[in-house]
Amino acid sequence: MENRNLLRALLLGALAWTAAMAAGLAIGAVPGTDFEIITQLRLPRVLLASFVGMGLAVSGAALQALFTNPLCEPYTLGVSSGAALGAVIGSTLQLDWIVSGIAGAAFVGALVFASALYFVSLYAGRGNLTLLLAGVMLGFLGSSLVALWMAFTDLAGIQGSLFWLMGDLSRARLAGTVFAAGAVLSLTILIWRRSHELDALLMGEEDALALGIPVRSARKKLIFLTSLLVGVCVSAAGMIGFVGLVIPHFARRSAGALHRTLLPVAALWGAGTLAAADALGRAAGGTHELPVGVVTALVGAPLFLWIMLRRRETT
Amino acid sequence: MSAPLLGAYGLVCRYGSRKVVDEVSFELEAGEILSLFGPNGSGKSTLLKLISGILPLESSGSGQIRHSGKDLSALGPAERARVVAYVGADLRADFPLTALEAVLLGRICHSGGIFRQFTAQDREVARLAMERCLCWSLRERELATLSGGERQLVAFARALAQGARVLLLDEALSRMDLNHQARMGSLLKELATEGRGIILVSHDVNLASEWARSAILLKDGKRVRSGPIQEILTQDTLEMLYPGAELLVSAHPLSGAPKVFFR
Repeated sequence: MENRNLLRALLLGALAWTAAMAAGLAIGAVPGTDFEIITQLRLPRVLLASFVGMGLAVSGAALQALFTNPLCEPYTLGVSSGAALGAVIGSTLQLDWIVSGIAGAAFVGALVFASALYFVSLYAGRGNLTLLLAGVMLGFLGSSLVALWMAFTDLAGIQGSLFWLMGDLSRARLAGTVFAAGAVLSLTILIWRRSHELDALLMGEEDALALGIPVRSARKKLIFLTSLLVGVCVSAAGMIGFVGLVIPHFARRSAGALHRTLLPVAALWGAGTLAAADALGRAAGGTHELPVGVVTALVGAPLFLWIMLRRRETT
Repeated sequence: MSAPLLGAYGLVCRYGSRKVVDEVSFELEAGEILSLFGPNGSGKSTLLKLISGILPLESSGSGQIRHSGKDLSALGPAERARVVAYVGADLRADFPLTALEAVLLGRICHSGGIFRQFTAQDREVARLAMERCLCWSLRERELATLSGGERQLVAFARALAQGARVLLLDEALSRMDLNHQARMGSLLKELATEGRGIILVSHDVNLASEWARSAILLKDGKRVRSGPIQEILTQDTLEMLYPGAELLVSAHPLSGAPKVFFR
């Protein structure tokens, strides 16, 4: 029975993903169905959308468990802003001569912001709201610093910060996509291997300790891995919100809350969702495509509110 | 003479400069049900958290805890969870785990392998534990949809699934209805006869005195008395703890266990 649910969830995810990829390959800012356009522009783009979506969903699930708060995700916690800040500083320092240079800088930014949140969580104790508010403030701070930095250092000025702040997949090229795919897949597997730690942390710190999890070291390792994952996603596509929040929430309904089954389903659904959102953004925008972050926020923000209100009713 | 199942020696725990647990020592034998008594803030819960490892002894206090003669703090967290299981007053229900999933978490300390999956044996142990705790019928329900008492049954089952020989119960039966309290009480006795050692903290002294044979009285973090429950739960003790309170201790008409009444 459990297995059947899981199988259905995986199958559904795979189908949705395939459909989204097909749509993404068919629709593009550069019209036409030339082989070149499809392989050089659209294929890297749908693949990047997929792997970024996967990374965001997995990092959202991991952050929710490690902070024992189902409203966490890289965007609402400001970790994405930290990554974006790291990435823009990295570009100014011209770290982009290697594919992973910007991702590395984004990772450092994400890690700094996530560590700040970790310390907030140590002192705020069980108060979940404090953590969320601290995250939102960090997010504002990071985004403002991105805009500020771009205004002074970038030729495109503050306009250039839009890529980072709204999320955008239009810069996808093959080399970057291959790097992102490899990084997201390996980090997802590394986090997946820590499923039991995530499972126990769902019950809170005290219970996790009593269940035999070395909570402090587990949390630190998970924050490290999650920051890496967020760094990879943000450096490739800017800040994209709500995928990390909404996907794990719905995936739990099909796959259960235990991460050994949840993470693969969330990964698959995240991939399909972001590929679909990007295709939608291209189709809806006409000649100007909509940044993918706008699409996810338009759908995700109301869902966030709905999830929050529903939670209030059950607890 | 063989080492006791659990031995605590000179336990101290500080919150800041305040000593919450102050030089407490005791031993728990296999088959024993021990009750910790004392007013609010006397250090009962802190003591259980020290033993369970929720409060690390190294950083927040001093003293020694031994299991069958071996130093508990030398064990890794998973090994320790296979020896000592802790049940608190509630399970958090922030996430939609089902009752069965929550009980399976008790098997984490046993699982190995690269992807550490739960085995068929883990599921079997979880099922037996839930049956013993009368919550197998709740297995598909999400924690948030259960009542406080039902969640306590699930928490108890999770601790049993850990397979530990030492069980620490901190107000773990407080929200159960009378029927479940009575049934869990018999389960406690059963578990004791199977060779487990159980430490019970309950503000409901009449509940605790029904099952515990021995007791320790704590006050301001210190052990003030210890011995068989009839010698601890006395009129004299209550006068000392709560001077002027209108309380009466009398033996249960059938079991003879000491009970406390309002005068």
